Amino acid sequence: MDHDALFDVWHLFIRAGKKTIRTPVIIFGTLALPVLFLVLFTQIFTQFGNLPGFPAGGYVQFATAGIIVLNPLINAQYSGTAVVDDINSGFLSKMLVTPVNRPAILFGRLLNDTIMVLIPAGITLALAYALGVTVITGALGILLILFTAAFFGLSMSGLTMAIGVTTKSAQVVAGLDLVIIFPLMFVSTALVPYEFLPHWAQAFSNVNPFSYAVNAVRALMSTGFDWSTILAAYAVIAVFAAVTIGATLYQFRSVEK
Amino acid sequence: MVSDIINVENLVKVYPGGTRAVDGISFSVRESEFFGFLGPNGAGKSTTIQVLTTLLKKTSGSVTVAGYDVDTDAREIRKVIGVQRQETILDGDLTGRENLTIQGHLQRLHGTALKKRVDELLALVELSDVADKRAAQYSGGMKKRLDLASTLVHKPRLLFLDEPTSGLDPQSRVAIWEHLETLNSDEGVTVFLTTQQMEEADRLCHRLSILDHGEIVVSGSPVELKHQLGGDTITMSFANSDSGIKDRSKRIVNGIQGVTKVLDVETGLAAYAKNASALVPDIVRLFDENEIRLTSISVASASLDDVFLQHTGRRIRSEELSKVDTWKHYM
Ligand SMILES: Nc1ncnc2c1ncn2[C@@H]1O[C@H](COP(=O)(O)OP(=O)(O)OP(=O)(O)O)[C@@H](O)[C@H]1O
Ligand SMILES: [Mg+2]
Repeated sequence: MDHDALFDVWHLFIRAGKKTIRTPVIIFGTLALPVLFLVLFTQIFTQFGNLPGFPAGGYVQFATAGIIVLNPLINAQYSGTAVVDDINSGFLSKMLVTPVNRPAILFGRLLNDTIMVLIPAGITLALAYALGVTVITGALGILLILFTAAFFGLSMSGLTMAIGVTTKSAQVVAGLDLVIIFPLMFVSTALVPYEFLPHWAQAFSNVNPFSYAVNAVRALMSTGFDWSTILAAYAVIAVFAAVTIGATLYQFRSVEK
Repeated sequence: MVSDIINVENLVKVYPGGTRAVDGISFSVRESEFFGFLGPNGAGKSTTIQVLTTLLKKTSGSVTVAGYDVDTDAREIRKVIGVQRQETILDGDLTGRENLTIQGHLQRLHGTALKKRVDELLALVELSDVADKRAAQYSGGMKKRLDLASTLVHKPRLLFLDEPTSGLDPQSRVAIWEHLETLNSDEGVTVFLTTQQMEEADRLCHRLSILDHGEIVVSGSPVELKHQLGGDTITMSFANSDSGIKDRSKRIVNGIQGVTKVLDVETGLAAYAKNASALVPDIVRLFDENEIRLTSISVASASLDDVFLQHTGRRIRSEELSKVDTWKHYM
């Protein structure tokens, strides 16, 4: 990217940030969800931790990893919604008649959305720490956990953006939680250990990028620098992100004309 | 040599659904000219603007803007044009000031120069007082003015305005006209404007093309175009609308000395004559003698609408007729 493109990304990031801050429901959701999830899931499922065969450390320790990656999964919808809004309001076309760098329009938004993933991830970690959860890999581990959440968030944002740019429909993007987000969320290792899943769910979880991200975070929290798990997650997320963001960029070119 | 800042040859745009929105038009606009596209709904005005502003791919033909080809040098074109779309487009979450600032950033302006420019434009469109309110809270007319200002941030050499004053109150409309005239005359900005309002085209445009069904019907300066009609318009409507009456009436009016042209219109007939007002008593008398009942007869100076009517057989919008010297229910 040249200097102009970075300039564009920066200013479009600022625009996205202002829009986000001025939308109370997004701010509230982003701040409240981690708390809600942590309290809710750990209260409801806490007896799980006592089941034979459950990983050591208890349910809160286990579920925190899932919840950290759950936020990017859910927040990703905002990326798709924002693109659809810009298409339907005409603002995108208003940008497209200027010399602005085309990909910068997406990356400015993604930068904002990445921050909107890091904030709840940080809140979750802090809250979990207060509940006695530990991160075995220390400060570096925490950085890698945040990176994993952000990286996964990017790939999911790519997915909702690609669908938004293709369908130009706010309803379709809003419907993604039922069609894509909930299945990815429940048929995964986020809240239930892999061994406890039925076979079909295990099979799905094996190809679910969400599970890979959760497993990496969980390893960093409870096991250590288990590089095979961590790198497997990064490889899967990288492929997923390349496909979804690539598709968005590709579709974006046809919106232009 | 005066160069053409816009050159369009045989432009055709067929939408994916098959609509032939622009059907082989050719025209050119000179540097610093105020050029207009006048036409009714669906004529193809906005489609043409979108092709010229690099938003829409043409089907065929050749288009150069500011010396650049729209297909190969779109990037260069975007640096020198300002575009106001027909729909008002703003970011409602941002304030008026922020809307102008982001447009400046997209045009790669920054710092105090941009700040100054934004203040200047806010004052120009009389939004300084509400500059720090979110645009979503502006009234329709305020939004439209802000939108216009946002197209001017980078001082474009060439402005594309798609019906820039529709929906504005008369006062704002005149203020915008005056500003556009100043931009054009003092700074040499070329303006390409579309409108459905004769008055607007008449006042602003040095030259215009009348567009209908994707084709250019006629081009020229407002004065030239009106001159071709040969005088003022006399519009008549009849109590009985059968075509026999209309044909007879047409023959009668055609026979009156001084009448240069008689056209069918939806509501009756329109005739053109130099000394139109003086002919009204004659017309009324002749109809009376022939026992044709008139319900109204009116005289107006020839307008661009009459030009449109003459070339298409339809009026752009009947309510745009200027109602000068009307004798309603004369008989
Ligand atoms: N995106 C589109 N897809 C298909 N057809 C379109 C599209 N946009 C416009 N058209 C059609 O193309 C024709 C020309 O439309 P256009 O918007 O260029 O007219 P216009 O002269 O700007 O009219 P108006 O005064 O109502 O703005 C119309 O028949 C319209 O239905
Ligand atoms: Mg239009």
